[in-house]
Parts: sequence; structure tokens; C-alpha cells
Amino acid sequence: MEEFLPISNSIVALVHRRSARRIACILPLVLAFASVALAQSYDILLQGGHVIDPANGVDQVMDVAISGDRIARVASNLPALQARKVLNVKGLYVTPGLIDLHAHVYGYSGSVFPDDTALLAGTTTVVDAGGAGWRSFDDFKKTIIDASKTRVLVFLNIVGRGMIGPEAEDDVNDMDAVKTAAKIKENPSEVVGIKVAHFGLPGWTALERAVEAGRLSKTPVMVDDKIFTNSGRTSREKLLRVMRPGDLHTHVYNDRQLEVVDRFTGKLQPYMLEARQRGVLFDLGHGGGSFLWPVAARAMEQGFPPDTISTDLHSSSIMIPQSDMANCISKLMNLGMKLQDAIARSTVNPARAVKRFPELGTLGEGKVADIAVFELKTGIFAFKDAWSKKLLGRQKLECIATIRNGRLVADLNGLGFPLWNTAGDYEVIP
Amino acid sequence: MKIRASSIQNTPLVTSRCAQSIVPPWTRGDYRGVTLLPQAHLPTTLSSCRDGGDDFPSTQTNVRGSSGWIGTKAFHVLALFLFLVTPASAQQIYDLLLKNGHVIDPKNQRNGRYDIAVIGNKIVRVGDALPSSNAKLVVDASQYYVTPGLIDIHTHFDAQGAELNLNPDHNALQSGVTTAVDAGSSGWKHFEEFQTRIINHSQTRLLAFLNIVAAGMYGEKVENDVQEMDAEAAARMVKKYPQTIVGIKTAHFQPPTWDAVDRAVKAAELSNSIVMVDFHPKPGRGYPELILKHMRPGDIHTHFYGRLTPQLDAQKKVQPYMWEARKRGILFDVGHGAGSFWFRIAVPAIEQGFLPDTISTDIHKDSIMLPRANMITTMSKFLNIGLTLEQVIERSTVNPATAIRRPELGTLSEGSVADIAVLELEKGQFSFLDSGHGKLIGDKRLSCVLTVRDGKVVWDTKGLSLTEWSQAGPYSNFK
Repeated sequence: MEEFLPISNSIVALVHRRSARRIACILPLVLAFASVALAQSYDILLQGGHVIDPANGVDQVMDVAISGDRIARVASNLPALQARKVLNVKGLYVTPGLIDLHAHVYGYSGSVFPDDTALLAGTTTVVDAGGAGWRSFDDFKKTIIDASKTRVLVFLNIVGRGMIGPEAEDDVNDMDAVKTAAKIKENPSEVVGIKVAHFGLPGWTALERAVEAGRLSKTPVMVDDKIFTNSGRTSREKLLRVMRPGDLHTHVYNDRQLEVVDRFTGKLQPYMLEARQRGVLFDLGHGGGSFLWPVAARAMEQGFPPDTISTDLHSSSIMIPQSDMANCISKLMNLGMKLQDAIARSTVNPARAVKRFPELGTLGEGKVADIAVFELKTGIFAFKDAWSKKLLGRQKLECIATIRNGRLVADLNGLGFPLWNTAGDYEVIP
Repeated sequence: MKIRASSIQNTPLVTSRCAQSIVPPWTRGDYRGVTLLPQAHLPTTLSSCRDGGDDFPSTQTNVRGSSGWIGTKAFHVLALFLFLVTPASAQQIYDLLLKNGHVIDPKNQRNGRYDIAVIGNKIVRVGDALPSSNAKLVVDASQYYVTPGLIDIHTHFDAQGAELNLNPDHNALQSGVTTAVDAGSSGWKHFEEFQTRIINHSQTRLLAFLNIVAAGMYGEKVENDVQEMDAEAAARMVKKYPQTIVGIKTAHFQPPTWDAVDRAVKAAELSNSIVMVDFHPKPGRGYPELILKHMRPGDIHTHFYGRLTPQLDAQKKVQPYMWEARKRGILFDVGHGAGSFWFRIAVPAIEQGFLPDTISTDIHKDSIMLPRANMITTMSKFLNIGLTLEQVIERSTVNPATAIRRPELGTLSEGSVADIAVLELEKGQFSFLDSGHGKLIGDKRLSCVLTVRDGKVVWDTKGLSLTEWSQAGPYSNFK
């Protein structure tokens, strides 16, 4: 009998699988005992949702059980009776918590606090794209990273002082590859790479220093690089010579950084395909100026979707363009991307891009319980690009609930809580 | 001259004598018979209230640079001129026309279909069949309600201040809130930092209650320290920033004395302003005494559907002193927050006719998550408890404007600033959580589809004001 007692949550599933056949043919009493013991080990059960977990090839109705901060089981018909909290998510989609590779939660003047912007859109991990440099990272960690429920990862700006304005961001003397790489190595659990952005002088100094820091720290570089007259830089050269395989170009559907499609003929530029073949990654980075319908629609038509979907969410892109993750996914879906594909580009792909797979971006058993629940609405909805032009689309993904680190942190339909008038003189219900 | 100029924009700094006379009639709180406020209850100009002694601060021209009020004044004169010389709307070119919405403007007793025309940052006409051909931008509001921009008098938007604070704009404007009052995140020591780093840069009109604690909401230690509570210094700061500071906040005070409340009231007296009280009763410092003796008419008790103060007896009956306090003019504000709004308290109180005077959120990093204490969701909760839409709008526009003595706000009057919310009333099944995560299932939900702040469309979920990209012609660099 003792072998059925859960010694720890993590081994319950294992014990269950090994013993399943034996239990089935011994006494019903044993069966009852075992199922009670198993069921009690679930803190939250998401019941009857359509699970999309591209990392594990799951795309069907399944239950997801959580014990503590971990995913305990993903299977059909898990016992609900004794789970502490059961959310009926029939008709809804259950996915790994989304990973937003391009967010602004520190340093940059338009940065926003992560929890109210990310968690309410199904995003459980944000990667701050260069708000802090090696000089300001410690303050970032103390004031935001450690104070958020959202998992905050970091692309460290190649500029030591971070993204604090043109004067600092054009200061090549503050772009120290060695110190940047050292800071990354000191903080491997938060820093995942390097950001270079907004460089306003001619030449390749900023990008080359960032790549050097990337080489020293063995991390990828995320590039935001305006191509302006007399800069001495071209998109082609940047993608094919300077950037390395695994480096990311963000703002892929901008028209001032890459010219993905020829602005006169609308044809996809051959060097984009060539760069993709080399392993350069292209990230959405919607933002306040970097997602245009004419570019996105033509690139998508010609088979050039972003590798990773991200928001560049800040104080202005969050307003009229509404560039949160759920909306970015909706926009791409209305341009023809399948939901499953969009979820892959918002979970497993970004996790891989920042070398956090299979730790993140998956609903694998034993992995951290970062989970999003969505409703796919149909009707007529307006979606706005970064230039406030709208597209009327027929489907919209809306976040219904978010679980972060095993805790239900957003629950817009109250799925996880009892009715007030049946709860007595309740105190705060966990 | 200075005084008149500032009276256009400011709280009309009413004297204490005037303040005594302000007992808003909505405080009578007859649930089903609540009538809309007939008119403003406060003098709209300083002159009508000047007899009690004029201690207008000499420093007032420092506020936001002197050019601010001069510019605004010039605009007022210009707008007035245009208004007077143009006999009908026919020749006016509107910058924005909200067409055919269901207007609810309690202050002006409007509840029906109207067009609203905006020029620059002002509402110039509210009428029937205003010509679309005269407008640069027409928004078809026929499916929606159009209300004054909402006013949330209990927020925490000093985003770089106290730990739990949030960024103002997306949290306010996305809910239709165009005026938010920070409830004591900063005290007199740090208020000016708040002003320069947040208030001056936010699109939302940000006002503030100044914490009686000099350092503001910086943790138990300072907030319980009576030495931190300097009424004179706080009053000086209120008078220095009459455009931004509407009163004094006292909160979180634990020692069993009246020091915090009494000093806050003292600071309000010295600055001719009001107090918002968050109260933790202690032995010898009871709630009835607070609302019947220590607070003055016009002062606001926030969090009044919370667990800390005994508003109901054991049979869930509203205590007699609640009615008595309301009669003497104490205002009761929701201040939803992470711990202060409970269906198990609010529903019985409302069933007995004890409605809030003002609906507000106490929005911060915790309350915004599970309880979803933003303005539009908080209003939806009251709608589903049983308030009418008019009652909800009244308590989110004209009532808070009156409470904080900004009668020029919370209205769609012609000539007032173009702060407007366009709301959708959805029917279906919706769930709402309170601060204890108890769930209420309702059949209505308000959502904000479009917000106009200072004449500009700043939020537009349905793209009502926007062009379809395929019809927009070349834009950006793209041909």
C-alpha cells in the first residue's frame, strides 16, 4: 500500500504509470485510495480545453493538471473530484504561457510595468529589449525583475547606460563588449542576449560591438537598426555579413529597417530568404512604428512570416495599435496564419531563440506551470497597425486566464472561483 | 486678474465658509428614487464664493509654467468668440463629430440620442442632426453610449513612486477615464517629483490627494510616524499646486490615536480643500466617531464596502450612523482595491439603498489582476448589482467632479473640455470577482470602445475613427 502514497508531487505521475496495470486488477479499495491520493496532488486542473502545445506536438482536447509550480499531467480525462481548483475550459484553448521576446519594462521612457500588460494578455515571460545596459542592470533587477510576477528576461543594451535617449545611444565610448559580456555571464538566469538599437551615426560600430559581446558571452543579438541615408549600411550587408546565425532582427514588418518587400514592386527581397537560410531570425516587434499592413500582408502572402511574434509594447504601442501578444497573434491570423502556427511562434520558437527551450515554451510534464487560456472569438473585429490604419478581421484571440508559476494570476471569467453568495463570510479565496 | 485666470482651470478654491454649505443632494441616497443631479452644486467661479476671505496663494503662477494658463485663457477667449459670432453650426468646421450616440450626461440631465461636436480641445455643440459634412472626422456612435470622460478619484499612478503604483495612461484611458486622482502616493516631500516625472507627461489628466505623511506611501514605518504628519507643510504644498492637488489623503495609520485623521483635516482646513480617509478602526478610535465627528461635510471615506469598517450590523443591516453621516454630508467612495470591495457587503448595503456617492478603483499592481479593479470593470460590477446605467455614470462623472470641486469636469456641456468616453453595453453572461475573489455572474458588461482626451482620440478598440488600410493610399514610406 505504501508505494501508492505520494512521496512528492513529482513522482506521483511516475508511480501511477508503472502501477496502472496492477492497480486495475487488485482490490477496488486500492483503486479508490490511489485515485484519491493522485487527485489530491493536483492544485489546479484545467478541464476539457483544446491544448495547443507545439513543442510536444499536442493539438487536441486534453486536461492539464498542475501541482505546486509544475505541470503534473497532460492527458485525457484526469480525475477532477479532488483537485483543489478545477477550471472548466471547454471551448477554450490552452497553450504554454506566451513569451514576448520584445518588451519594454525598464529604462526606456515609454516602458510599462510587466504584470498588468503581459499577464492579462496570456504572456508569462517578457524579454526586455535593451532598457538596461551593463551599468543599469542591477537597478533593473532590484526594481522590476524581482518585483514582478511576470518572468522578466533581458537583452542587455550594448550601451552601458541603456535605452535612455539619443545622446547615450549614440555614444560609442559607452559600448563596451567586454563589460557587457561579463555582466551577462554574471547573470545567466536573467540575461539572454544583447540588444542594439536606435544607433544614429554612420557605420557599423554599434552592431559590431554587440556581435562581439554576443560572441564573448555565447548569446544572441537582437538588432533594431535604422537604415538611413548616408549611414553606410545596407540591409543586405547587415543580414548576410554582420549578423550571425541565431541573431534576431526585430521589427521585421517595419519599412525603414529592412525593406522586407520592395517598396515599389511589392516583391519579397531575395536577401531576406537568403538570411533566413543562414539562420538569421526575424522577430515581429510590433511597436509604435514597426508593423504595417502593406508590408505584413505582402510578406505573409509571399511566405515570409516572422519566426517569433513579439509586441515591442510600450506606452504608445499599447494604446491605438494595441500591440499586446493576443492582439499580435490575432493580427497575423487575420493575415492567414493558423492559430497553431502562431502559438508556435509565441512559445517554443522564442524559447529556442533565447536558448530557454525546453525549460520554457512547453506544456511538458514536470515543466514550470506557465499557462495561458484563450477564447477564439468570431465576428467582425478591428485591428490597427502601428500607423493607426485598420484591418477588419473575422477572428480574435482573447486571453481568459493566465497561470504563472502554478498560480492563477488572471481570471477574466472567474473560472477558478466560487459564487460570492454561496461562499459564506469568505475571506480572500486563494 | 490672476485669480480669474486660474478659476478657469482650477478648483475654485472655495473658502471654508463656502465649503460648509456644500452638502450634495445625491447624498440622500434613495436607492430606487435617486434622481440625477440637476446642476452643479458648487460655485463655478471664484467670485461667487469670495466673501469668506481670499487667501489665494501667491505662488500659484509657478504651476506648470505661467504660459499654461495664459495659453488656455487665450483659447477660451477664442472659443468664446467663435461661439458668439457663429449663429448656427452650419459654418463651423468640426474637428470631431460623435454622431448619434446615446448620450448620458447627468449634469445636464441628458439621456438620449445626440451628436457631439468638438473643435480643438473643446466641446462646441451638443445637438440633433449636426451635419457630418462639416466635420473632419466623424465617428458613428449609434451602437454606443457617449458619456463625459470618467473620473476615478482613487488611483495609484505615481508610477515611479510607491511600490504598487502603475502607469497611468493605458490603465486609465483604456477604461474611459480621462481624469484620475492619485490617492496619496506622495506626500509634500516628493510631490514635486511626481509632478515633473509623471503628471506633466501623462495624457490622462492626473490630479492628486497629497498624503498627510510627508514621505507618502513608503511603508508602515513612515506611515505610522506622527512626526511625519506636518499639516502646515502639507497645506503649503496643496496651495502651491492648486491645479493638481485636490485635497489631503490619510491612509494605513495603525496607532490607536486620532493624529493622522485630525492632522489631515487640519491640513485641509488650512488649504481650503478636502480629505480622503482610509480608516483602520482601533479600540478607542471608532468608525462612527470618524464619520460623525472627525470628518467634515464634503470629506470622503474611501473603501467603505471594505471589511475594516463596520458599515453593517450582524444582520447585514446598514448601521444608523451610516445614514446619519451621509445626511451630514460625508461622502462614501468605493476605492475597490485588492481588499476593499466585497459583494457580501456591497450587495446588502445597496439593496437597502446605501449606494456609493462615487465609484473609484484604488487601482494598483495587485488590484488590477484578479479583482480587475479598473474603472470600467468596477462600474460593470455595480451595474450587475442593480444600479441603473445612469446611476453608474453619475457616480463616475459628475459626482466625483463635484466631490473634488472640479465642476468644470465630468460633463459634456458646450464649452467644456473634450474629455469623452464611448462605452459599449454588452449583453450576455459575464463574471466579476471582488477583492476576496468571490464571483458575481451578471448579464451586462460595460467596455470602453473609444476615449477622447483633450479633443484627441487616444483609444479606439473598434477603429471607429480610423481608415481601413486598403483604402488609405500610400502611407509611411511604403508606396
